[in-house]
Amino acid sequence: MLGWGASRLEADMDRLLALLLHQGVLDGQFLELRQLQDESAPNFVSEVVCIYLRESDKHLRSLRTLLSDAETTDYKKIGVHLNQFMGSSSSIGAKRVRNVCLIFRTASEQSNRTGCLRSLEVLEYEYCYLENKLHELFHMEQQKVLASAVRYPLLLG
Amino acid sequence: MMMATVQRFPMFSSLSTTTNSYVPREVEEPSRDQFPAGLRVLVVDDDMTCLKILEQMLQKCSYHVTICCQAKIALAILRERKGGFDLVISDVHMPDMDGFKLLEVVGLEMDLPVIMMSADGRTSAVMKGIKHGACDYLIKPVRMEELKNIWQHVLRKKFNECKEVEQSGSVEDNDHQRRMTDDGEYASSANDGNDGGWKSHKKKRDAKDDEDNSELENDDPSTSKKPRVVWSVELHQQFVVAVSHLGIEKAVPKKILELMNVPGLTRENVASHLQKFRLYLKRVNGMAQHQGGISASFCGAVEPNTKIPPQALAALQAELLGRPAGNLVMPTMDQPILLPASIQNSTCIPAGCGVAFGQPIMKCQSNVSKQFSQPNVSSENVSSGFPSWSSNQLNVMVSPANLSIQNNMLVQMLQQQQPPSMSSESGHAINVQPSCLVVPSQSSNNTPAVNSPLSVHQNASYNSNGVFDYSSVTSQSNIMPLAGGQITDCNVGLLNGYLVPGAVPSSVTSCSVSTGSSTVWQPQNSSLYVNSSARLPGQVPNMSESYEAKAGISTEEMHMRNLGFVGKGTSIPSRFAVEDIGTLVDESSYDKTSVINGGDRVKQELNLDFMESAKVGIPVLQHYSSSDFMGVLSK
Repeated sequence: MLGWGASRLEADMDRLLALLLHQGVLDGQFLELRQLQDESAPNFVSEVVCIYLRESDKHLRSLRTLLSDAETTDYKKIGVHLNQFMGSSSSIGAKRVRNVCLIFRTASEQSNRTGCLRSLEVLEYEYCYLENKLHELFHMEQQKVLASAVRYPLLLG
Repeated sequence: MMMATVQRFPMFSSLSTTTNSYVPREVEEPSRDQFPAGLRVLVVDDDMTCLKILEQMLQKCSYHVTICCQAKIALAILRERKGGFDLVISDVHMPDMDGFKLLEVVGLEMDLPVIMMSADGRTSAVMKGIKHGACDYLIKPVRMEELKNIWQHVLRKKFNECKEVEQSGSVEDNDHQRRMTDDGEYASSANDGNDGGWKSHKKKRDAKDDEDNSELENDDPSTSKKPRVVWSVELHQQFVVAVSHLGIEKAVPKKILELMNVPGLTRENVASHLQKFRLYLKRVNGMAQHQGGISASFCGAVEPNTKIPPQALAALQAELLGRPAGNLVMPTMDQPILLPASIQNSTCIPAGCGVAFGQPIMKCQSNVSKQFSQPNVSSENVSSGFPSWSSNQLNVMVSPANLSIQNNMLVQMLQQQQPPSMSSESGHAINVQPSCLVVPSQSSNNTPAVNSPLSVHQNASYNSNGVFDYSSVTSQSNIMPLAGGQITDCNVGLLNGYLVPGAVPSSVTSCSVSTGSSTVWQPQNSSLYVNSSARLPGQVPNMSESYEAKAGISTEEMHMRNLGFVGKGTSIPSRFAVEDIGTLVDESSYDKTSVINGGDRVKQELNLDFMESAKVGIPVLQHYSSSDFMGVLSK
């Protein structure tokens, strides 16, 4: 019953995905991303998410650095980072992260340092949550692939 | 599955194009036209996540995708492979180069449709993108549905281009207006007299925002660009001096700006101007190399210290002389029907002006003439009169010795032997191509009633050179006594849509009206008159958008170059700065050139010799459009 593992994993994935969608962590754009994945790009979603996580780490670090010094805070630069962060987040469907970015950007436009710091905290939290969930999702997917990969030799044998 | 639907493009070998490895999972119905498939799209975004997603999405749309994460590299790719892309999608915020800047350069150099995208979906941001000439603005996340439709921009662009070519016979206001807008940066016209319909284009240099708004009036978003600076003669010469000081290759906007030291001028303005200037030189250079032999004769007059290749200067010079078409392209002209006459007055051209840019094309057509509102002449008469013009050309060149005014108006007339239908086809138009119209400092109160500083009455004395005191004339408000002259005036004003600084009235001869035209014009009055400072009473509201009305313009200080061709198709597709003047010339009359020398003389010359050499035919005009050398700057 090795095939059973794969289908169970798939069901788990679907459940997790539904939860994330329900929570508003992800939105339909993520599903669209999954539809883009095909035989020409079998790992498309995970590749994109990898890139996204890597870039987002950079953005968060930059934002943290930019806000570290109260006097020399360059709100314009913050805005640029946020715009990009927002763009990539919305592109993969990270809805909540994007929304926090929006609030963050508003605060940065008003040169509201307190608001920025608070937004950054929320952003980091949201991002962290998203990252964990995405990792969880991809872990399941890997398991599923493994499980289904295991099945073929058995069937052949 | 159906690999056949994936188009493979042989071109970019070194570039990372991904189409080749792409097998579409779902193929669009085979009955569909293949066009959107294989559309060559360049995506520029510094956000790798978006880039990756877009790439995949575009591939799903069966487009041929090239991705690039840096704007500068993208630009290099675009320059390297001109014509290799159909569409550019660019992010707005990029670290190495602003997306808008890229948009402008692409619009300028490649004339490709550019789609901007950004996560910033605020109205102001979108507005900015559209104002800069983006044909679309996508808000991230970009969705498949949107991308599936982007091919329409390519089609639209192509369609518009086709339309433009087709319009060669009849220039519609819209087109006209758009070209003028395009060329507006070089329009240093101070004296546009048409304020009738144009309220928005004044005081441009300091009011960028206003300008932005006014640009929105333009129908075609892809042609509207950033705020314009009016590059007056002085300004441009300062620019040229700065560039030549630095060297054309080494000149960078920042340094030029420092050297110019003009308040209110921004680095972007200079950068844009430099861009066009370089482009212009390049194209002119290429053109000149083609026509090397012809243009060589003009080299002498060009400023020596500018580090510009002689051919380019020659071409520039030729353009200044107002005969670029005549001289450079002449060999290709073979239409006997139209005889162009141009005035050769190379000595009158100041070296400094050699670099001045040509003005946008203004085209006048005979069918426009019905708008004439001159009391003396009924509109029907005028319009009917145009087709009947005789074939003689009239050239009027006004050039004060100090080089303020230089008008070459080449007037071609249809020969009378031509069947009437032919004549009607060829819109007689007055094209005024002022290279530098603006004389900012002077204030001359021009009232509509004041027509032309110079009025030349030609009665029987065509052959004689009439000398007029220019300055005195200027101060006076000469109202053209003749109906013909007024008509001409109206033509210029209406057709060009702005006040023609140097309006060369064409002499109307008695014989000219011969073919079935009941024109009111009186032969005695054949009035050529140059209306440099006058505001034309009849103004076409739509046209003068790019011209800035400056308060004071005196005729003396204007640098003008007017070149008029009356070609068969008055609209030359490639934004030529050639204008057509339709004038009545009597059969016996020869080409007349009125030249204002030293600001105080009007001289009329017969240019028969030139006529012979230069035959402007319809095919030539088409040729111009393709070579496009004049229109480089007008883009």
